[in-house]
Amino acid sequence: MDDALLLNVVLYLPVVGIVLLTLVPAAAEGTIRWVTFWVTVAQLAVTALLYARFNAEIPGLQFASAVPWIADWGVYYRIGLDGYNVLLVLLTAFLGPLVVAGAFTAIRKDVKLFYAMVLLIQFAMLGTFVAQDLFLFYLFWETMLIPMFLIIGIWGGERRIYATLKFVLYTAFGSILMLAAVIYLVLSLNATTGVTSFAFTDLYRSQLSLPVQIALLCAFGLSFAIKVPMVPLHTWLPDAHVEAPTAGSVILAGVLLKMGTYGFMKLGFPLFPDATRALTPAIMTLAVVSIVYGACLALVQNDIKKIIAYSSISHLGYVMLGLVSLDLLGIQGAVIQMVSHGLVAAGLFLMVGMIYERCHTRDLAAYGGLARLLPVYSVFFMVLTLASVGLPTTSGFTGEFLVLLGTFNATWPQFLLGDAYPLIMAASAVTGVVLGALYMLRLAQGFLYGEAKAPHMPLADLGLREKAILASLVIAIFALGLFPDEPMRKTELAAKEFQQLAGTSRTEQVAGAIPTTGAHMSAEPGGIDPMTAAAGRGDRQ
Amino acid sequence: MSWLDLFVAMLPEHLLLVGILVLIGIETAWTRPRGALAVSLVAVAAAAAAAAWQSVTGYSATPFAGQFAVDPANALAMAIVLALALPVLLMSRDDFDNGPFYPLLLSSLYGFCLLLSAESFLTLFLGLELMSIPVYVLVLLSFRRPESAEAALKYLVLGGTATAMFLMGVSLLYGGSGSLALEAFAIGLSGGSPMALAAVILVLLSFFLKAAIVPFHAWAPDAYESASIPVTAYMATIIKAGALLAALRLFGTTPIDRPIVDLLALLPLVSIVWGNLTAMRQLSFRRMIAYSSIAHAGYLFYAFLGDGPGRFQAVVFYLLAYGVMNLLAFAALPPADDDAARDRLDNLKGLYQRQPYAAVMIGIAMLSLAGIPPFPGFVAKFLIFRNVIAAGYTAYAVLGLIGSYLGIYFYLRVIQFMFMSPVEGAANGRAYRVLAVSAGFICLAAAIVLSVLPGWVIGFM
Repeated sequence: MDDALLLNVVLYLPVVGIVLLTLVPAAAEGTIRWVTFWVTVAQLAVTALLYARFNAEIPGLQFASAVPWIADWGVYYRIGLDGYNVLLVLLTAFLGPLVVAGAFTAIRKDVKLFYAMVLLIQFAMLGTFVAQDLFLFYLFWETMLIPMFLIIGIWGGERRIYATLKFVLYTAFGSILMLAAVIYLVLSLNATTGVTSFAFTDLYRSQLSLPVQIALLCAFGLSFAIKVPMVPLHTWLPDAHVEAPTAGSVILAGVLLKMGTYGFMKLGFPLFPDATRALTPAIMTLAVVSIVYGACLALVQNDIKKIIAYSSISHLGYVMLGLVSLDLLGIQGAVIQMVSHGLVAAGLFLMVGMIYERCHTRDLAAYGGLARLLPVYSVFFMVLTLASVGLPTTSGFTGEFLVLLGTFNATWPQFLLGDAYPLIMAASAVTGVVLGALYMLRLAQGFLYGEAKAPHMPLADLGLREKAILASLVIAIFALGLFPDEPMRKTELAAKEFQQLAGTSRTEQVAGAIPTTGAHMSAEPGGIDPMTAAAGRGDRQ
Repeated sequence: MSWLDLFVAMLPEHLLLVGILVLIGIETAWTRPRGALAVSLVAVAAAAAAAAWQSVTGYSATPFAGQFAVDPANALAMAIVLALALPVLLMSRDDFDNGPFYPLLLSSLYGFCLLLSAESFLTLFLGLELMSIPVYVLVLLSFRRPESAEAALKYLVLGGTATAMFLMGVSLLYGGSGSLALEAFAIGLSGGSPMALAAVILVLLSFFLKAAIVPFHAWAPDAYESASIPVTAYMATIIKAGALLAALRLFGTTPIDRPIVDLLALLPLVSIVWGNLTAMRQLSFRRMIAYSSIAHAGYLFYAFLGDGPGRFQAVVFYLLAYGVMNLLAFAALPPADDDAARDRLDNLKGLYQRQPYAAVMIGIAMLSLAGIPPFPGFVAKFLIFRNVIAAGYTAYAVLGLIGSYLGIYFYLRVIQFMFMSPVEGAANGRAYRVLAVSAGFICLAAAIVLSVLPGWVIGFM
């Protein structure tokens, strides 16, 4: 019981923080900053404790609570940690204090509202990750919109209103169709099994015909693909990133985008396995197009924030590729890649924010030779650049390498059976690595080397606060790059469950035959098609 | 039926009647009347409490067989809507001193109570008219600009048209069935003779007009804009609730078929889309709320597509969530010396800098009206669309949801004005009245309860 309480403490600490903030007068900005900071630190501490106590050997939920909420409809307040979300919850909690500390000097206007909104979005993001009930998930998913709308719209740049409305209207459109799909899914579960439930574990048991599955996957997928974002639904992202304040960009790139891939992993693919299989070529194509097209766009930008924004599109394409491969290594790589991108992109956006505070421009051409002007800054920037490129020993390498390995594992047998398209797609994805090196090194070269110039000289190098923020990120990046086995062990059972759920056809099976607790996860997935055969191969690794 | 039973069964109505009589007494006895607000508050609160008590104790009675019957479900709806009238009264001080406002409002509420318990078309008609006629006067009561007279006249004429259509439909039903009992409508709904169908459509259209469904909506923006804030709030919540609950009384749990289904889906769908699109262009807060209410009437009629008992639950919960949020927005609207200035959306620019709590309250109201979680508007909308999909009208549900998407922008625009725009002009110095603030906090508390414990509230319905 106290275990379940701990997770609730993690979830509701930001709400407590908001209540505390309302008690502080708006003029006491210092107090507001520190209250928020310590609330997020406390949240991180409890989350770290949960992570340490998370048992990798037990399948299913841990620290779970389930309380009837809207009893008439079968809606439960159901939260818990499992292998799917444990790393993402840790990532969210880890970025919390960094976001707050990073905004200490940047945010001067409406400080109280700003930190309240940061806490609110922290609450909504954690809620989305830990929710185990579809209604609750949707509730938290939509709640994220409001604080982000305000963060970009109030503290953003010149075109902030345009950017924030675009962000909200894009995301809300996806959510509207998802809402219809949620209702349909729950009603059809009720019609076929007589169970009225929004619990993920119950929904995994629903039996739907292929056309219905495809329609529902498209509805869910649209919402998730907008959040990821996948090309061609990505056009809100550069605007939102460029106009958002640093904290907004960090939250957006660090956690919010992972909502989309997490949605595919937790809901989209496992709920509609047959549709997933039918649409795999399309999803793979979109993922590869996102990787390559995002990288190409990043290559030609002059706005530093835009380069990183487009690189996010490219990096998250790998996550999608890994998930849809349904290969164990690919799936685990996708999870590592999510966390890795969260750390690296957060770091890069923070660094752009730091230089912007000093020079007030994000134009790449305005800078040069920062390695001489700001040596400490440059070291951190170089490390993050290399992590983004995927240098071995950094987390970026682990993620991308595993994803590509998993994709080849999955596509090779298909190639042998005569279907070359998936393999061609997998091969094209590799070009993203090369392009990634190109655009990041172009950025680093223009930024750090060459003739030393910057607006508003002389520049002060990083202060202690900034060093501490970046150092903690760099440590995390190397930790994940050098010792990926511990986090991978914690996600392994979930990855196997995902592989099983998303890889097993559910139109033919009898109700209740699907193990959802993970108790039988070691069983070889059935089916004869190459995709599941490949999944089986991954299983033995 | 003894006198005591008669007294208990009609207790809410009687309490309102006592209130009306006392108010008239105050008005005539003193040259400078005082205490009208207090009397009205007590009367309405007592009536709401009586209705809630009837509902909680499961009281049901038929004081006038075939004309008037009380049952717990309708008593609950009555309690909810009467409770919604309390914030309206609380925010009335800015616009009305003592005078005809209070007795008129209570008379209108009396009519509302009557129609909820009506068993025959006669009582229903009586209730509807008693509810509507005082409002024609109320619109004109705050005679601030010449357009008010035009708007009131428009409302009166169109309201009269609705009445005529209703009576025409009822007479056709009576001609067909020889009965004035409300069941005649349900029989006509499922019967399918052309005359019964025509009657059903006429009655339905009269409710569309009362609830401002496109294409019968043109009166609403003018009337809402010309009336004073409390009267607009009253029209947007209680009159709308009255029209919907009266329609619900007729439809009951009768299953519906084509072509009524298409009529019930298409016109509300057009209302949702048109209301939401037109609201985007408004410069006046009340006009915007009027178009928003046109869209919301669309969602509410959508609930009739659902099956059986779910309809009542969906409509009543929606009316509650929608009413609370509208009233919250109106109560938190910053006061100004000049009514036209108060009404301009520009007046909200930079409100967060001037009145952070008011801005947060209006923001919550807007998000809830837009149907964005975790606010109660979302659960309400979810309930309606769940019933529509459960009844098998998935395509209509998807179209309705897409229509509701169109509404997000103009609600967000209000938030944008309040939080993201610099303060425009000199902020005028008028302070909020304590009463209006308390109305705001009552609505906020209700909104929090509805957000955190929707299941508990739905459990009563």
